This record gives sequence, C-alpha cells and structure tokens, in this order.
Amino acid sequence: MRSLPSRLVLGLSVLGLVGALVPAADAQKRGGTLTIVRPTDPVSLDPNLETTAPGAWVYFNMLEGLLTLDEKMQIKPLLAASYEVMSPTRVRFKLRPGVKFHDGTPFNAAAVKFTFDRALRGTPPARWASLAGSLDGAEVVDDLTVDVVTREPYGPILRTLAMYCMGMVSPTAVQKMGADFSRAPVGTGPFRFVEWKTNTHVIIERNPDYWGDKALVDRVIFKVVPEEGARMIALQTGDADMVLFPSPAQLPALRKDPKFTVHETTGIRVVFVGLHAGLPPLDDVRVRQALLHAVDRKAILENIMEGSAGPARGVLAPGVFGYKDMQLDRAYPFDRARARALLTQAGWTPGPDGFMHKGGQRLTLSWLAARGRYPKDGEITEAVQAMFKEVGVEAKVQILEWAAVFQQVRGNPLNHHLFTLGWVTSNADADYSLYALFHSKNVPPTGWNTSRYANAKVDALVEQARRSLNQTEREKLYGEVQDILAREMVWIPVYTTKEIIATRAGVKGFSIHPVEYNLALWKTWLEK
Amino acid sequence: MLTFVVRRLLLAVPVLLGVVFVVMLTIDLLPGDAVTLMLGEHATKDAVAKLRDHLGLDKPFLVRYLDYVGRVFLHGDLGRSIQQNRPVAAELADAWPATVQLTAAALVLAAVLGIAAGVASAVWPNSLFDAFARLGSLFGLSMPIFWTGLVLIVIFSLWLHWLPVGGAGSLAHLVLPAVTLALPSVAMIARMTRSAVLDVLYQDYVRTARAKGVGELLVLGRHALRNAFIPILTLLGLQSGQLMGGAVLTETVFAWPGLGRLMVKAIFARDYILLQGAVLVFALAFVVINLLVDLSYGLLDPRVGRQG
Repeated sequence: MRSLPSRLVLGLSVLGLVGALVPAADAQKRGGTLTIVRPTDPVSLDPNLETTAPGAWVYFNMLEGLLTLDEKMQIKPLLAASYEVMSPTRVRFKLRPGVKFHDGTPFNAAAVKFTFDRALRGTPPARWASLAGSLDGAEVVDDLTVDVVTREPYGPILRTLAMYCMGMVSPTAVQKMGADFSRAPVGTGPFRFVEWKTNTHVIIERNPDYWGDKALVDRVIFKVVPEEGARMIALQTGDADMVLFPSPAQLPALRKDPKFTVHETTGIRVVFVGLHAGLPPLDDVRVRQALLHAVDRKAILENIMEGSAGPARGVLAPGVFGYKDMQLDRAYPFDRARARALLTQAGWTPGPDGFMHKGGQRLTLSWLAARGRYPKDGEITEAVQAMFKEVGVEAKVQILEWAAVFQQVRGNPLNHHLFTLGWVTSNADADYSLYALFHSKNVPPTGWNTSRYANAKVDALVEQARRSLNQTEREKLYGEVQDILAREMVWIPVYTTKEIIATRAGVKGFSIHPVEYNLALWKTWLEK
Repeated sequence: MLTFVVRRLLLAVPVLLGVVFVVMLTIDLLPGDAVTLMLGEHATKDAVAKLRDHLGLDKPFLVRYLDYVGRVFLHGDLGRSIQQNRPVAAELADAWPATVQLTAAALVLAAVLGIAAGVASAVWPNSLFDAFARLGSLFGLSMPIFWTGLVLIVIFSLWLHWLPVGGAGSLAHLVLPAVTLALPSVAMIARMTRSAVLDVLYQDYVRTARAKGVGELLVLGRHALRNAFIPILTLLGLQSGQLMGGAVLTETVFAWPGLGRLMVKAIFARDYILLQGAVLVFALAFVVINLLVDLSYGLLDPRVGRQG
C-alpha cells in the first residue's frame, strides 16, 4: 500500500459559497401553505432517535449539517464555508459566520462538538452512529473553526457528514428541553418547528431569520394518511398538494393529467438476488454466471415493475460516489443457450426430468425470500424461479417473514443458495456498499457480506479506498473493485429503486432528490 | 352492590395480568430480534448490544414480565416508549380521546339506528321496510370496514365534496369514520333487536297490556322494549369491544389519530413497551364496559340486582 499522507493532495479546498442558485424569480410567488400527505407519522424529529424517512422528511427542512448533497449527488457546503484535510483522520472546517439557531443560540464550533458528543457518546448512542463509520467526534479550534476527527483514516467522511441525519442541534435547546427535544427540534434550517399532533400532522413554518435564501411557502403541513387510496383522493380533492408514496397503479393516469405533476428520479437502493458464493454448486463462478444469463431482467422491469423502477447496471446505484456501470446487459445478456453452455462446462448435464444433473444429483438451489420488504420482491422471486427452470435449474423458494429472513442471512452458517435482498448506500459513498458487502472480514455474523464472498484483491482495494482521502484515487479503486465483481458475480442485480412524488401542477420549484430522506421544500412555491 | 363492583374490579386484575403475559410472550416468540429490527439493517453489533442492555432485553422472559407487571401494577408506571423515549402514559393520553370519541360516536349511531330499525322491523314484520332492513343489515355485516370506508370517501369526499377525506379536528371529520365503524354494528343490533322485540311481543303480559287498552306506543316502550333490552344491552357491551377493534382499521383508512393507529405504529416499530401499554388500555376499557353493562342489567331488571 502506498503511504497515505502523500496522497492527500486536496489541500485547502474552498467549497465556494453557493446559495444564489434560485432559478429566475420572475414567476415565483411567496406565501401559502404546502400540504403534504404521507403514510406514517415520524418516530421522532430528533436524528438521534430517527433515521427513517417519516422523521427525516420533516427534520431535513429544520436541521442543517456542515455539508449536504445536492440533487446531482454532489457535496455542497451548508453550515461549513470551507474545509481542509489536515491529516488522514482530521478534517478542519471553517464555519459560516453569523448563523443562529431558531432559539437565538449562535451556531459555532462548540455546537458542532455538542451535536457529535451527544450522538456518539450518549447512552444509547444515536441511531445514526452505525451509519457514521469511523467518525469519532469534533474538536473546537476556535469559535468558527472545528476539526472533525475519525478513529482511523476514513475516506467516506465527507459524504458521511453530508448525510440527511447529520443536522446540528442547538445545545441550549437540548439542555433546556431534555427528552422533549425529540418532538420539537431546534436547528438552523430554513423552516422551524411549529406543532406536532401525534398521528395527525406536523407543522413547520418559514424561518424569517434564515441565513440564506428564505423559504418561499409560509408553512408546510405534513399530514398522516396511511391508506394509499385515501392519499390519492386527497390529492385529487385538493386536500393535499403533494403525495409521498403515491399509488404506483395510478401513476400512468396521473402523468397524463395536466392537473398533476409526477416527479421521479433514480434512487439509491439496489434490489438483488444474492448468491451464496461459498455453498456448492455456487462456489463455481460458471454456475453463477449461468444464472445471470438465465434471467430476463428487462422483462422483469417491464412486466413486474411497470416503470416504477430503473435497471440495475451493477451492484451500486448510479447516484452513489464510486459507481461504475458494470455493463451487465452486455456481459450477461439474457441468453438461455449460453446459460446451459456454462452449466455444461461446469459438469452439469441435462437429465430425463428436464433439470441439469451431476453425479446423479439434480441442480437444486434453496432460496430464502421475504414478501413485501422491497417493492415486488415476492413477484420477482417467483419470476426468476420460473426463468431458472427454463435452463434446468430447480429453485426451492422459502418465503418467510422479513425478520426471519434477516436473522438467517445475517447468521452463520447460511444454508440457502439464494436470497432476495435490497441495499441502500445510505451515505451515498461506495465504501458503504463495497466494503460492507464484499470484504471477507464482513461475512456474517460480523457484517453484511451475505454472499460470503472472499477475494484478497477486493479486500485490499476496498481497504485502500477506505483509508484514502483522495477522492479521485478512491473513485479509481472502486472502479477496479466493480470490474472484479463484474467477472465474479455474486449477485443478480434486479432493479434500482425510483423515488416518486406526485404533486398538484400548481406546486412549482420542487425538485426530487435521489435520496428519499432529502425532501427539500424551501425552494418550493405555490401557484394559486 | 358495592361489593359486587369491588369483586368485579378485583377479578379484572388476573385478566389484565394474563393479557400482559400473552402479549409479552407473543412479542418474545416473534421471529427476528426486536433491537436489530429497530436499529435497522445497518446497525453495528456494538450498537445492538448497547441498546439491548439499555432496554434490559438480555434478561430472561419471566424476569422481564415480573419487572413490567411490578412497575405497572405497583407504581402505575407504564415505562417509556422505545422509539420516542417518551412516557407511554403520555402517548396513550394523546391518542385515547380520539378513539373514545370515535368509538362512542359509532356506538351511539349503532344503538340509535340499530334499535330503531330493529323495532320497526319487529312491529311490521315481513313488510317492505323489514325486507329492506334485513337486506341492508346483511350488507352491513358482510362489507369489510376498509372497503366501506374507501367507498364512502369516494362518494362523499371525491364526488360530492361534502366531507373531508380524513384527519381529525371538526365534527365533519368524525362523520365518515363513525358511520363506517358503526355500519356492521348497526346491522348486528338491528337483527338482534328485531328478534328480541318480536319475541317479547308474543308474551302474555304484552297481550294483557293490549287487552287492558294500553296504547300501542306505551306497550312498545314500557312493556316490550324494556324487556327486550337485556339481550340488546349485552350485545351493545360486546359491540363496544368490537368497535374498539374495528377502530384499528377505521383509524387507518381515515387517518384518525387514535389508539388503534398508535398500536399499529408500535407493532411496525417493534416498540413493545408502547404496544403493551396500548393493549393494556384496550383490555381495561373492555373490562370496565362489561362491568357497566352488568350493572345496568340491575337497573332494567330489578331481579338481577337482588341475586347479585
């Protein structure tokens, strides 16, 4: 491995003060109330207790981190004005001056340290602590300068700090409110908290003292409407301006209707059929490749997903840093003859029952799957099972409750060849997937290498990329990892999720984000 | 009378203990680990271990049961919800009024409509009204709540714009959920009332009353209905339990912020402390309602009180 500090060529990297990115303001209107209906109430509005979407949708508009990810998945400064990599475990941030929390407390280095101490040293630690990798905390340099420190060299640190749940909280408010903070958080964001009536609504309003461009609507009401049909009716009657989790069945009609707008973008979750690389016959790469050739992924996208998902071009979603198109459609086109040829090479021959045989044994694979954990997972499992049969592979599917599937794939040993799973690259950095899913150290029960994949070269590459803070170098290393994975194929990637939100046509200025949690509402305005 | 009430209340204690036991055991037997599910797919082992320790989940089942029961019954402490870190009592207090409101409205609606329809059917048996009422009650009984709810929303919110789609806040918000929830009970009560009243109308004392020249309305009100009321009242008590159960579905369809929704949320989040609290409240409510029903027998029929 190369010595690390010499690779740190970033130096002082001024991120530049954005903010004036608002489009031509000619038609923009201020004011009004934006009503959003979504299926569930938040667990909490404190990122320490809530990292799932229902809470994140709301607090993302009230709490801001040092950095953020824009809709193009680029890192943008938020409460930081600039940063400098000091050492492989230390990044120095200059903070934006003159920023105040909603309660008037000034935002400064001490607040950053407080936020991280509270999350990482509290009992129990914050829910997002597990997402933050090696992040160890912050050290105050002076009032507007803070060092973010990691326990070991940690390349994904910038994307980690740009995650939706890394918002800074007001130290005075936390101390004063205690446990109540989780129901009425105080941050620096463009909206501030007004009211939360459990299972009814959460209301936030424009922060009139916001340091940047102020929000355009006066208020946002997040209503809970659990029933999908009722949510769609609320949009049609005008009771709601925006629907989160719209009914997929109604989208084609909605797209054609000029009264509504359907916003969609490729998400960051990949749903796949995992292959247990350590369990014969899947320890033979030819058998794994044959399975890829046997699956008509295009047909699944068209007939099962019906436009509600995008193709999976590799093990990562396109928005993730380090993503490389693995060219699966070219390398593993749907081709039953090639699938059979590969199986024959691996010593399997067609038997009288239509299935492939070797040494008197039928080619039978055991498959663990849940139904309803990921969109259409059960249907996909059944479709692929039928496709396998066409090339002489028998799949015995066992559909269990998600909790039971989870327990088994994360346990050891796993006695199933195949499993249907999904994976979100939460911090949008390839490390989060390639290190967690394919490093041999992360074989369960330690981690998420559910394929039980072990390749010394991959281990070395993902470790090197993890320890480097040179993003160009990291991107290259992740590219190499994906090249290797494309040859070895321990997954059958099936689809990449799409984020879909429906609004009335009068809702303007809204742009949907690939990360479902990043529901930014401050540029949205209402055309009456 | 007082001893009767006290005895019944004491009897409720083992019922509640049993309910808690069954609920805790069910959660314990569920596949998968509550903490791993709570922390999500990406939780580190360390985080899981810390939270498990924090929640006392590493203790054996019986110890946890006795701990919980001790805290609830001796100190009245329902604990703190795992997800929100908020007292369960506060969560329940927030949600409870909405469910009471909805269930009470539905019960009143069911009682008034059901009894009226039932009496009318009994007074004019095999009439056109009777046929309609019987058909209607068959319909009400067979339609699942979530379906009726959506149909009512489509008609009254989407097409007619008379009532809001869902949520709470005003009387208008209450109409659709209350009607939806009441419909199966209306049907049940109407059928029960019809047969109870018909039964009574053929009794000797009714014939005697008529022979004395008592007006038909008085015969119905004082002689027939009062006697027919005991089975109807029993049914009302049972229906109130049914309505609380149905509230889980109705509250979901109409986004009504009550206990049912709280319970569903707790189940999905594996927030078992909150779930136990909610189930306990449902069980307690059911016990109290049935006690009230038993007490009111005494008011309708003096013989019941004397025996008790």
